[in-house]
Amino acid sequence: MSEAKKETLVMEHLVSLRYEEELTPILERYVDALIDGRIVGHKCPQCGRVYVPGKGYCPLCVVETTDRDEVQVADTGTVTGFTIVTPVAYYGQEETEPFVYASVLLDGADSTLGGQDIVNIPRDEVRSGLRVRAIWRPKEKRSGNAVTNRGWGSVASVIDAFEPTGEPDMDRAKFEEHIF
Amino acid sequence: MNDIAIVGWAQTPSVRLARESEVQLLVPTVAAALARANLDRREVGFTCAGSCDYLTGGPFAFVSNLEAAGAWPPIAESHVEMDGAWAMYEAWVRLQHGDIDTALVFGSGKSSPSQPAEVWAQQLDPYYLAPLGVDPVSLAGIQARALIDTGEATERDFAEVAARSRRNANDNPNAQVKGGPSVDDLLKAPYVRAPLRTHDLPPISDAAVAVVLARGDRARALCERPAWIRGLDHRIEVHQPGMRDLTVSPSTTLAARKAGYDGGPLDVVELSATFSPQELILREALGLGANANASAINPSGGPLAANPVMATGLIRIVEVAQRIASGAANRGLAHATGGQVLQHNLVCMLEGE
Repeated sequence: MSEAKKETLVMEHLVSLRYEEELTPILERYVDALIDGRIVGHKCPQCGRVYVPGKGYCPLCVVETTDRDEVQVADTGTVTGFTIVTPVAYYGQEETEPFVYASVLLDGADSTLGGQDIVNIPRDEVRSGLRVRAIWRPKEKRSGNAVTNRGWGSVASVIDAFEPTGEPDMDRAKFEEHIF
Repeated sequence: MNDIAIVGWAQTPSVRLARESEVQLLVPTVAAALARANLDRREVGFTCAGSCDYLTGGPFAFVSNLEAAGAWPPIAESHVEMDGAWAMYEAWVRLQHGDIDTALVFGSGKSSPSQPAEVWAQQLDPYYLAPLGVDPVSLAGIQARALIDTGEATERDFAEVAARSRRNANDNPNAQVKGGPSVDDLLKAPYVRAPLRTHDLPPISDAAVAVVLARGDRARALCERPAWIRGLDHRIEVHQPGMRDLTVSPSTTLAARKAGYDGGPLDVVELSATFSPQELILREALGLGANANASAINPSGGPLAANPVMATGLIRIVEVAQRIASGAANRGLAHATGGQVLQHNLVCMLEGE
């Protein structure tokens, strides 16, 4: 086998794509309610499931939902699933300490809020079934800046985290159909 | 192989900016296409969608889009990162296995959140072209200049295509750019990328389109006058545009021949000519040339009137199919394109019974 090593040519191709869009009308309404201290979703007129935020349709029945189907849900709920994320360095990383990334099923909702931080509890005590309540920012500090059409940041920049309520854990049977 | 027909369709009007998300555009569109086909979504044998997440920058947007088809209980489905016309091609192939007899196809795209010049440059070879920032309008300008240099076309010819597109678009409720400009007025406008002016370019559009296919007697049961797909073929040329003669479209000629186009009379032709010179190139490639009855070409207004990328090609197919279904036409040709400056071309031959 030849000892000579061929030089591998390497080039960098840096790509930057700019995207700019307004929130969909449904999300605009959702953000207005959030800033007002209310969490709203859409209730499917056919199956009754409540999606938070509303999607404009029920993905299971494939029927459209509109403002007329808007309902309010509580700001208390249950941790259905979670991950403890250990940050690694990558371009744009802002986190330095391990943090909780949890799905929270709000009381009254059938879909969960993803990516929520659970605080005021040791990380190793966070568990499925934990009852939590939202920690709202003071009204003057709320904004819809972190809510996007992508689905990330569902309550971010209004509710920073959830904390335990102290209630007994939710019975698994009551939330195991709503992990996502 | 030619007992598959279009039995249902629907599209949203093309607009410069749709406030709804892509899937929110698709939900009523898919529902309307199924309703027209008298088909319940649960009866659909196969679903295929065409879209491109880079248009809105939404990772896995094509997965969300599937909610418009109703993916529970689980469905057999596929997706192409291409115009919906190619999603229809895949569905047409699937139907030929003979074990299912209906398929749902849709194409969608919102170009409004992004800069086409940035997004489509990423389609080019990353070593030599993309770093130069070669954008689609510049490439189309190079193609236009080459066409003028052959002596076969002038800027006036381009403006005539544009003027006719806008006039035809007046009769199309789904078209975006309409009007009745004179060719002389159009030629007074400044160049955007010489020799192209704004009227030679497609608009930026958001829209969604859906089609229902059915086979044989099922098609006859679902639709009074199905638009039968007599032939469907697509061919692609070399990726590097510098290696092609941009003034001709041999892949269109070949695709048309393989789709069974024999040069006979056509009642309606819908071409995905995204830039006005491309209509002239495509007409030549299809043997429709200068003698073609121009009023039968792009009666919808074509892509110069509405260009929802990823839906444009499938919309051409729908525009032909609906004219056949209504009895206004009996034989038509629809063309879709992908890649840069007519690199990849699809031809669909449609006929009434």
